[in-house]
Amino acid sequence: MDFKRLLKELQDIVGENNVVYHSDDLLVFEYDGSVDRGMPEAVVFPSSTDEVSRVVKLARRSGVPVVGRGTGTGLSGGAISPPGGIQVAFPRMNHILEVDTDNRMAVVEPGVINLHLDTRVRKDGLRYAPDPSSQKACSLGGNVAENSGGPHCLAYGTTTNHVLGMEVVLEDGSIVNLGSLARETTGYDLRGVFTGSEGTFGIATKIAVRLLPVPEAIRTFLGIFPDVESACTAVSAVIEHGIVPAALEMIDALTIQAVQNVSDAGYPDDAGAVLLIELEGLQDEVDEIGKEVEAALWDTGATQVRTAEEAAEREQLWVGRNGALGALGSIAPNYFLVDGVVPRTQLARVLGQVAEVSKKYDIPIANVFHAGDGNLHPCLLFDERQPGTLEKITEAGTEVLKVCVDAGGTLTGEHGVGLEKKEQMPLVYSEDDMSAMLSVREAFAPANSLNPGKIFPDGTKPVPHAHPAAPGITI
Amino acid sequence: MESSLFNELSRLLGGSAVSTGDGYEIDGLTPQAVVRPADRLQLSELLRWASSEQVSLLPRGGGTRSGLGNVPRKADVVLDMRVFDRLVDYQPADMTATVEAGMTLSSMQALLAPGGEFVPLESTLAVRSTIGGILSVGSGGPLSHTYGLPREWLIGIGVMTTQGVSTKAGGKVVKNVTGYDLNKLYAGSLGTLGVIVEASFKLLPRDPRAGMLLASFPTVAASIAAGRKLLHSSTAPAGFLCASSGVARWLQDSVNAASQDLGLGDEETALSLSYFSGRDRATKRRMDESAALLMSEGANAVQLIEGDPARGTLRWMTDVPADISLRSNLVMKVSVQSKSAARVSAECGDIAVVGQGPSQLADPGFGSIRLFWPELDDGSSRGSRADRPIMDAIQKIQSIAQQYQGSAVVEQCPLTVKNQIDVWGQPPDSLEVMQAIKKRFDPSDILNPGRFLGGI
Repeated sequence: MDFKRLLKELQDIVGENNVVYHSDDLLVFEYDGSVDRGMPEAVVFPSSTDEVSRVVKLARRSGVPVVGRGTGTGLSGGAISPPGGIQVAFPRMNHILEVDTDNRMAVVEPGVINLHLDTRVRKDGLRYAPDPSSQKACSLGGNVAENSGGPHCLAYGTTTNHVLGMEVVLEDGSIVNLGSLARETTGYDLRGVFTGSEGTFGIATKIAVRLLPVPEAIRTFLGIFPDVESACTAVSAVIEHGIVPAALEMIDALTIQAVQNVSDAGYPDDAGAVLLIELEGLQDEVDEIGKEVEAALWDTGATQVRTAEEAAEREQLWVGRNGALGALGSIAPNYFLVDGVVPRTQLARVLGQVAEVSKKYDIPIANVFHAGDGNLHPCLLFDERQPGTLEKITEAGTEVLKVCVDAGGTLTGEHGVGLEKKEQMPLVYSEDDMSAMLSVREAFAPANSLNPGKIFPDGTKPVPHAHPAAPGITI
Repeated sequence: MESSLFNELSRLLGGSAVSTGDGYEIDGLTPQAVVRPADRLQLSELLRWASSEQVSLLPRGGGTRSGLGNVPRKADVVLDMRVFDRLVDYQPADMTATVEAGMTLSSMQALLAPGGEFVPLESTLAVRSTIGGILSVGSGGPLSHTYGLPREWLIGIGVMTTQGVSTKAGGKVVKNVTGYDLNKLYAGSLGTLGVIVEASFKLLPRDPRAGMLLASFPTVAASIAAGRKLLHSSTAPAGFLCASSGVARWLQDSVNAASQDLGLGDEETALSLSYFSGRDRATKRRMDESAALLMSEGANAVQLIEGDPARGTLRWMTDVPADISLRSNLVMKVSVQSKSAARVSAECGDIAVVGQGPSQLADPGFGSIRLFWPELDDGSSRGSRADRPIMDAIQKIQSIAQQYQGSAVVEQCPLTVKNQIDVWGQPPDSLEVMQAIKKRFDPSDILNPGRFLGGI
């Protein structure tokens, strides 16, 4: 089918104004939060499941690949269009369809922003637990595709632990329901395997999620440590007390410096690491466990410990952590973020090895990470204007991932494989492992026309583009 | 008599790895052999051979749930996985552990206890139930409201494919989005996609304090209503079960604590069990406030049990479905949204088989209700004459479940009935995708053929 006719038919389905195809208009859809880029042929904004189904059917008939796109905050190139592809984006499917407080459940369209759902249900004393740091901007459809995490996933699990059911459009345009509104359902757990499939199995058009009650008490602890090693010891000490905090986050010296460059978060100049711990539960629990946490922080060498229970004061303690990535711009104009995960006990050793990579390649690496679940986020800082830098960064990034895998870890904890890490998949999985995964894709999408070219190695090397470090960008 | 298949298996695995299928009947079918491969190499050879010869394999752990599922299309060989029972890796400070699939849940918990941790899996008869079996069934227990299903805790899995190839998915870290999450696919797949060989889990710290509140209510409906209030309070228990009088009478026989006066003598008395665990002060407060709430919501009496007796009662709560099933003619599990539990329980309670309504064990937090219709003393529930009322009851329960957007699974029924139904009920509209997955994972249809829903 020629492109003009395809455009006309797309417009017939979603309305003339809901198809973007001029090259100027397409610019913003060329990239996401990663270093990858790819210009789609067109972007379509459907308003209903039926429209999504018809768009997908038409694309299939025309042999055009389709990429579902949330709000483009993804950090692995998951929403980047393959050559000749169209994107289906959901600014018009952004309705919270149902909030059922009795059942602690909500049904949303894929374009609903994560934080909007959380804010809406807080009125009823409930919350949506997965909280990617981009939650002000990222959509729940994108969260499902990537199985997004966040600081509070330590205690509550990632997106997959909170999705009850979905309505999805498959590549032939058929509409099926996965999971159900009940917590247990019959048959294979297709909802579970769909979550995190990075848009390659289908496009979710309705999502039912669980809501949790807001805890009675929350207390945040901020510990200042002379170095990352002692802060890691504190993490182990807390865990050894039989404590699973709601969140357990760390930033290292370089990040502290960046944060302090931008605004005074109250960190001393010589601080080597800042550890943030959040406890949630009954007041009695927070009091009892809080004492142990505080003692553990002092025992492992904290030079300062601050605590807060009131919302505004807690937010103050989080300011440095939340603004960390944006603040890196004060050190270098660009960053490349690695999402490796290691067993908690390997944290200190792996961070040491990351520092060696930094030395070897002469690239400053700042660490902002989810220490509780071993999810590192080494940020390789650079200036793209220096020739040859991007290649060096990619190489160093791969070396960091190798370090993680060698320590018993894996490539990505919450950002997805996407384009960025697909060639590194063999570090973790054998051909046979990947072949089993591909069998599932063949069952959902035999023609591989949904978000093709992602996750699995195919020898095509993505061309990295520098991503500017800028305030407001979060992980 | 030793079949040629038996002899071939003996040649393949060695005589000591093969025995007759006597005592391993599944839905009236006696397998020709039971095999116990010595290691993964043998397991691989067995699977490759079975695929090429189209010999059906029925993987088995402790055999505690081997009645679950439809009547198999073929039951050639039972694959006993209990040989694979090693601890592969346990790092207390990482709060993760990897075990082989044939290890029993009790053994695993015993290995984790010195580290002050446990794996939040629940299963009837934990001394027999294996990790592989629990994952294959994919169900939870009395604390599902808090812990969910095994899927929530499984972080990595090693599976032998039907072609005898060793594969893995996930890993040993607690957060992982590298590749598709096949953990979710294998958990709850009833052994139809591959043979689970090992599994890695996230763990939790053991709580220092445990307690149980037993409360008697005039009716099941009253106990569910009180339970819903309790579960929505800030001091909610980790698990809450409602037992109808038929189930509650079992408690009287089984747990010493019940010898104290709870007013259980009354035929119409229902019982609720609330389990609490956590730190000292918080747990005490939860129990105090919950006891007061239960009384104000119409409980006749509330009794507190603490420490080991409370943990013992939790074990009883976990095992009781298996116990009652032994005396039941028909057992069904209905899964609905939690808010519908009260109405579904009431409607299901009216469905009688030959004049007998079901006993119930309801979890109004998780949204599941188990229904037990008793065996009739006069034997009138046996034989084909009795099939019709049972089929009618199944059909009615399944339509109630559907009406509430849930599902109803027949966990146990007479074989004559089982031969005529799909125990999983109406398949979901995604059945085609499920069938396509099965076809790719098991092209020769050798693993548990026909036992899963929709003919899978």
